[in-house]
Amino acid sequence: MDIVVCVKHVPDTTEAEIAIRDDERGIEKRGLVFDINEADNYAVEEALLLKERFGGSITVLTVGPPEADETLRMCLAKGVDKAVRLTDGRFEGSDSYATARILAEAIRELGRRPSPIGYDLVLTGIQADDDGCGQVGVTLAEMLGIPHAALVISTETEDGKMKVHRELEGGLHEVLEIELPALLTIQTGINEPRYASIFGIRQAMKKQIEALDLGALGLAEEAVGEAGSKTSLVRLFIPEVTAQATILQGSPEEVSSELLTIFKNEGVI
Amino acid sequence: MRSPLNVRRIIYEALVRDQLDVNQRPEIWDCTTCTTCTLRCPKGLDPALMLIGLRRVLTEGGRIKPTVRDALESTFKFGNPWGRGKAKRSDWAQGLNVKNLAEGAEAEMLYFVCCTPAYDDRVQAVARAMVKVFQKAEVDFGILGNEEMCCGSEMRRLGEEGLFEFLVEENLALFQQHGIKRMVTTSPHCYNSFRNEYEGRGFEVQHYTQFLADLIELGKLTFSKEVNRVVTYHDPCFLGKQNQVYDEPRAILQRIPGLQFVEFDRSRERSLCCEGGGGRMWVEASSARERLAEVRVKDALALGAEVIATACPFCLLTLEDAVKTTGAEGAVEVLDIVELVAQAI
Repeated sequence: MDIVVCVKHVPDTTEAEIAIRDDERGIEKRGLVFDINEADNYAVEEALLLKERFGGSITVLTVGPPEADETLRMCLAKGVDKAVRLTDGRFEGSDSYATARILAEAIRELGRRPSPIGYDLVLTGIQADDDGCGQVGVTLAEMLGIPHAALVISTETEDGKMKVHRELEGGLHEVLEIELPALLTIQTGINEPRYASIFGIRQAMKKQIEALDLGALGLAEEAVGEAGSKTSLVRLFIPEVTAQATILQGSPEEVSSELLTIFKNEGVI
Repeated sequence: MRSPLNVRRIIYEALVRDQLDVNQRPEIWDCTTCTTCTLRCPKGLDPALMLIGLRRVLTEGGRIKPTVRDALESTFKFGNPWGRGKAKRSDWAQGLNVKNLAEGAEAEMLYFVCCTPAYDDRVQAVARAMVKVFQKAEVDFGILGNEEMCCGSEMRRLGEEGLFEFLVEENLALFQQHGIKRMVTTSPHCYNSFRNEYEGRGFEVQHYTQFLADLIELGKLTFSKEVNRVVTYHDPCFLGKQNQVYDEPRAILQRIPGLQFVEFDRSRERSLCCEGGGGRMWVEASSARERLAEVRVKDALALGAEVIATACPFCLLTLEDAVKTTGAEGAVEVLDIVELVAQAI
């Protein structure tokens, strides 16, 4: 089974102090630690598990700056066969639609080569931790003209057919049979991602990462970046703390009993 | 904990019969690297190295427990195994007026705090007590603030040798950059790492119990209050068994006015491990039988001790957990030696 996985190199912001850029169209990235997007890490693991069972190859793609090589090397250390980085200054400002177009064109380009890289499956994470759009995967499926399933929590493969489990509202699960090639957007928790050791990552430095730009993909400048986007970011800001927020102070016992009183008074419990 | 781990059996199966399947032996993760086996080995071997070697096979293969994976990834990304941001590392020191050597301040000595006292709510009190004692004794010291990074001791023992090597390089460069000549550590694990495993280090390192014992001996640290409690001392393995620092912690406790010191039956070389070493802070034991820290708490109660003193962040946390799981809260308290010292000045 040949699999393409799309990954994103994102800042880890759970513990960081976030500062908004002066132009209010992004965050200050200096001092932040970057890593593979969490859901994409599960997508890579799912690809590795499928490869272990059925053989084939895994290619990871990312749209990002040269620093995204860190994430690609980690993927290579885990057993991914090929890594391709899609980098061009003109890609900047791309929304989900334009990003999906870059990825779709890269997947087509890889398939056109003298020794083509095809695919039975394209995997993405369900959404990116930084912009949280959750649109690249399904838009990419549409552009490639293949079926997709979103929010996948497990996969079963038998006789060349694939069944995917999806989690629905209210604790329901559904199982879909999907024709391959297909695209799945992977939910976190579908598996337990493996660890890439530092020696493994250093070994992966020897493997080549291919970089493709606008010209290599044969895309027009108007098709990418802000010009090729359907949406544009107007403003990014940290919401002000409103008067409705109450910070309880005191020992854990005092705070919890006060909280309980509030819950009771408000009819929560 | 009574573990199914039998290190002689593992050595036999791996080296003599060549039939050990590391994936089928979860007890490989039970070892706390306390080195009791090394001290007692009639053939002078170091069996813990065998287990660390087997962990390396598992870690390099990537198939490790999620808790271990997360601790290793956090250490690589943020310089600590607790998943906490670099920018919050020195929050514990706010308002204490401590020099930050990473921001250009100069001092005779570096206080190497360690990840656990830097971030853990309970152990932060130990770091603050340390500052109080150093300031009382007019020690010229500073910290590396948010630039401080994990020493790598536990990463090496979890089988991540590459990460350990990475941290050694980063730390040696950091210490050199800031001209560190002398260092005192909170944790026996950092102390052991720096003293015995950092090849080419250009600085002197002491555990804080050695440093405080010297200050007391020289009359630079004096006590003005009584601590009228019965106190026993739990030897951290990385301080006692691995570095033979047995006397200094006891010397400090015995100099505190009013303190009545009682000795565990199993002490010094025969001391029982708390099970917090060897990366075990991130690994659940394979056996559900009684934990050694619980045995320790029961022994302390039988001795009539009101306080179990120790000198290691991991011992402090595992013994405190055992006080809760044995229902001994209110009967016995776990404190770091420096916290008792801070109470007496």
